[in-house]
Amino acid sequence: MFKPTSFIKQATEQIQKTVKGKALIAFSGGVDSTVCAALVNKAIGNQLIAVHVDTGYMRKNESENTKKLMEEMNLNYRFIDASKEYYASLKNVTDPEKKRKIIGEKFIELFDEVANEENIQYLVQGTIAPDWIESGGELRDTIKSHHNVGGLPEKMNLKLVEPLRDLYKDEVRELARELQVSVSEKQPFPGPGLAIRIMGEATPKRTKIVREACAIVEEEIEKASAEKKMTLPWQYFAVLLPVKSVGVHGDKRAYGQVIAIRAVESMDAMSCSFSTIPHEVIDIISNRITNTLGHDINRVVYDVTNKPPGTIEWE
Amino acid sequence: MVSIYVVDNGGQWTHREWRMLKYLDATTKIVPNTTTWKTLTDEGVDGLILSGGAPRIGLENKLGNCDEYLRKSNIPILGICAGHQFMARFFGGDAKPSKIPEFGKITLTLLDTENPLFINVPKESIVWESHNDEITILPDSMKNLAKSENCTYQAIMHKEKPFFGLQFHPEVNNTEYGEQIFTNFISICKKNQTT
Repeated sequence: MFKPTSFIKQATEQIQKTVKGKALIAFSGGVDSTVCAALVNKAIGNQLIAVHVDTGYMRKNESENTKKLMEEMNLNYRFIDASKEYYASLKNVTDPEKKRKIIGEKFIELFDEVANEENIQYLVQGTIAPDWIESGGELRDTIKSHHNVGGLPEKMNLKLVEPLRDLYKDEVRELARELQVSVSEKQPFPGPGLAIRIMGEATPKRTKIVREACAIVEEEIEKASAEKKMTLPWQYFAVLLPVKSVGVHGDKRAYGQVIAIRAVESMDAMSCSFSTIPHEVIDIISNRITNTLGHDINRVVYDVTNKPPGTIEWE
Repeated sequence: MVSIYVVDNGGQWTHREWRMLKYLDATTKIVPNTTTWKTLTDEGVDGLILSGGAPRIGLENKLGNCDEYLRKSNIPILGICAGHQFMARFFGGDAKPSKIPEFGKITLTLLDTENPLFINVPKESIVWESHNDEITILPDSMKNLAKSENCTYQAIMHKEKPFFGLQFHPEVNNTEYGEQIFTNFISICKKNQTT
């Protein structure tokens, strides 16, 4: 079994031994980076500087909430709005691996700037096991380059500190509960954000569509599970597809885009089965998406693929 | 205490095998498949898991030093996926691309419910698969223990040595009796310690 208290003790000692001086943590506000920040903060106190980057690909209100979280945790923090830079560097990029690599490199550029200003030598990341496993290398095939591993540039000035490398999400949550981190039950959200939930080019306009669709999926599924119509899936979101289909809107032909709903059950993200959502809940989601986003979306589908052969996110 | 190492052939779930052993209180470590047999015996290992690997790796004639382990070992070895295919080929059998590769949820049917590897595992259960290749010829020295609708050799064992192979993935959380199979393999390693 996993023992959170002894892990915290060992990890804190290890961090104190390795990190000399100031360290920077890449802080997305998800469970992994928040737990990691709590852990490193415990070890080196205010020598830790949390940096949150609003990539423009965050979910609805996510960056604002992350700012509040960093304040609530009394972290020394920097908040960088880099959305314009991200949109510009992902212009005309459709290949999922290219997207991930560009996003990863951009993160490091921004962290390097802060590190230079503050004279920091260490980059702390909430990397967990699936991130480096799926990023591949040597014998292992690359399934997808996680921004914090496979997306890192080859040459880096900052030394990496990754205390959660051997853990999976269920174990990180146990740590989060032990450390009384408020986001302990927050659903996973990938580092490259909504950019990899948009098949094809991740333009600001398409980002807005998928952001709204993700918010609808989250709201309705959380509502249905609070009303005990279903259990809360492990992860649930919307994906914007690059195909168009024909519909009919008020006696007129419509030719619009497609949203796929994805909801899965997993423990460790290394395998998953698709969730069985009651039809009445899917019905509500579908109606809300096609009505509020009717100008762009006229069809909604549900993804019924397990992992393997699929992966959880589409890119 | 029993010490079982995971030999890494580059599988997606190598680290999950390590976690499974750790949770079941075995002493464990992931080692590269280039580790020599001498290093392993010097460290007093009681059992080995040969992990799966990237596509087609089970069809290669060389899988790091896995051949050396199979030639010299008297401790239990469990080959998974590519490790399982390699084991069959090492003893004179063969593996080839599957006519119908299996990914995800599959029903496993045991042919030998009495086998020590399958204690407390029902005749039919759900297992998780992920393979492009499979065993096509089982060597004479090995016995078939399980099958699925589209794959004949889902679990095999050597007739004289404590070697087992599994085409499916007991380390994956979705495999219903995966933890039980690991518990059984640990018992096999413990029993072997005392003989």
